[in-house]
Amino acid sequence: MQTHIISLLVEDLPGVLTRMSGMFTMRGINITSLTVSPCEKDGLSRMTVVIDGSEKVLEQVRKQLSNLIEVVKVVDLAENKAIIRDLCLMKIHVRDSNARSTVMQLAETYGAEIVDATLDSVIIEVTDDPKRIDRLVNLMKQFGVKQLFRTGVTAIGRDTGLER
Amino acid sequence: MTREKLSGAEIVIEELKNEGAEVAFGIPGGVLLDLYEVLYTEDAVRHILMRHEQCAAHAADGYARVSGKTGVCIATSGPGATNLVTGLANASMDSTPVVALTGQVPTAAIGSNAFQEASTFTITMPVTKYNFLVKRTEDLPKVLHNAFYIANTGRKGVVLVDLPKDVLATKVEVDLHQKETFAGYNPKMKPNNVQIKKAAEALVNAERPLIIAGGGVISTGATEELRHLAEFLGAPVVTTLMGKGAIPENHPFSLGMAGMHGRIYANRAIYECDALLAVGTRFSDRLTGWQLDQFAPDATLIHVDIDAAEINKNIQVDIPIVGDAKFALGDIIKWLEKKKKTANKSVWVQRIKEMHSACEDCIKDVGRAGSSISDMFIKEINAILDSNAIVTTEVGQCQMFAAHYYITKKPRTFISSGGLGTMGFGFPAAIGAKVAAPDKKVVDIAGDGSFLMTCQDLATCVENDIPVVVCIFDNRYLGMVRQWQELFFDKRYSHTSLGMSPDFVKLAEAFGCYGERVEKPEELKDALHNAFESGKPAVIDMIVGNEDKILPMIPPGGGLTGMIGAERCKHI
Repeated sequence: MQTHIISLLVEDLPGVLTRMSGMFTMRGINITSLTVSPCEKDGLSRMTVVIDGSEKVLEQVRKQLSNLIEVVKVVDLAENKAIIRDLCLMKIHVRDSNARSTVMQLAETYGAEIVDATLDSVIIEVTDDPKRIDRLVNLMKQFGVKQLFRTGVTAIGRDTGLER
Repeated sequence: MTREKLSGAEIVIEELKNEGAEVAFGIPGGVLLDLYEVLYTEDAVRHILMRHEQCAAHAADGYARVSGKTGVCIATSGPGATNLVTGLANASMDSTPVVALTGQVPTAAIGSNAFQEASTFTITMPVTKYNFLVKRTEDLPKVLHNAFYIANTGRKGVVLVDLPKDVLATKVEVDLHQKETFAGYNPKMKPNNVQIKKAAEALVNAERPLIIAGGGVISTGATEELRHLAEFLGAPVVTTLMGKGAIPENHPFSLGMAGMHGRIYANRAIYECDALLAVGTRFSDRLTGWQLDQFAPDATLIHVDIDAAEINKNIQVDIPIVGDAKFALGDIIKWLEKKKKTANKSVWVQRIKEMHSACEDCIKDVGRAGSSISDMFIKEINAILDSNAIVTTEVGQCQMFAAHYYITKKPRTFISSGGLGTMGFGFPAAIGAKVAAPDKKVVDIAGDGSFLMTCQDLATCVENDIPVVVCIFDNRYLGMVRQWQELFFDKRYSHTSLGMSPDFVKLAEAFGCYGERVEKPEELKDALHNAFESGKPAVIDMIVGNEDKILPMIPPGGGLTGMIGAERCKHI
């Protein structure tokens, strides 16, 4: 089992999301995360799908996605050749000022922002590689994560040429 | 390109004509009144009124398989559309080009649980190659063009167009016959030259090459290339169920159908070969069995398929080739001829000829000890039908008797539900076949269980003068399930006995068809003669043994070399 990030360029037509997710359902493959958004070209959307599976499963998925009529392009983004980002909002319980200052320190270390605070909670916003977010979330669990929202992964491939 | 003010219904029919659709199998309904108003006076599109929408889809499927053209079926919204689903799933599984038109409630009512509303678009998504829900009349020319284009290119399949009532009724000015297609839909036809060279070398250098021909050989019209390559290489050809007819089965290099109910030497040859070219097949479990170490264990595997997703899906292969079967086989032949490669495989060719004649003897010797009355009926059918006749089949024992014993000599003359295994397919498919080829004899090899699932369309045959002949292997059981209960469930015949109802001869007569009962195989010749002479649709009720079995077979979980019930085969 391995995590794979697949980037799709699709025609922005009604039903395209159902058709895409239906392909996964039909073949018994679970989607870990999915994001859909407009892209640089009018009439097209970009989808970023994260799945867990073997190379064989990935090969099937890539080919079956290519077979979908509205899918214009399928790119398998290797982790080391892509910038991968996830946005996370979480509400942390802080029982005293000690906890509050530790939470704020940790947030700062992780480049997260405190976007709201009350007497017994703070809301943290962080955009980062999902693995770093996982680490921050695990730390915050020590204090008590009351609510957690993540947008799911979006990713962009790096250019392969030498940078100027 | 002409600009006129046309209703959506008129646009649909104009585009059907432009795409060469001459026939549509359908049933009207409330939301389709505008479409049928246009069909009322339209002569270029012949509409055949069916008695069940499932049959409309199967008839379009059968029509497409025989003609190579896209079959068209029409159903109304809600129950009409849901009744189509089995037929669409069947055509999808067997990659048949079909365009289905369905009525839908007016766009403003969609989602309100209106009368006869069903979400046809979402229901049919998994059983179609593509589907459209048309929201604007202006979109119809582009949608209809793409429907036919997608259905009959690449890996062929089903496209459904859902047509809300107001979209059909509205009049607009529009350019007809638009050609714009999808940016992401570019079926790859020409195979890669490097792969072709690798495949050709592997085949010509092998000592024991073999070809498995699937439905892709027939649907691309690659049968001549197949025969040429087989003869050049000295390679036997085995087929899948869908590939039956890809090579004349009386050709000395033909070993017939392979797989679960295939011929013992077709399976044996797959086991023995050292290079295997599989073309236009998806390695279904019915072909490979379940013990994959018995599937061509010593062979270099070459797989040609139009659908890249079929490569390495069921079987890992050594040389994948993505492309059209006709191009791929043609390119392999061209490469071999250009390089002046010759194949000398006299030992293997001798072995193939022995295997071929062992299979032939097996079929000729039907009637000796160990064979069933069903075997003898199919032998009679072989003797009676000419090579142009079209055989369709229902599903189950009757289908496997036909697949195993019936000697198919031409492509597009053996029509069967391969992937989905739809009981009730054969008869409506025969209707489509007869409409596509009115000059040919069309016989549905049926079982009593299957035929009852769609027999109401005898009325369609009578009213539209479509004289197909249904030959029922009448064993009063759901025979294939009963066979499995006998072999693997200790003869506990749970809910497979059908009792004595109906009387199929009287049933036929009630519809205005010719009916005759045959109790002995030798009487079949006269009965079929009477049926064809009557000029009517006909039902021949062939009384076979209740406990007849189709053997040999690979038991569930078994492999190609482990066929059971092979005592009756001639052993070499």
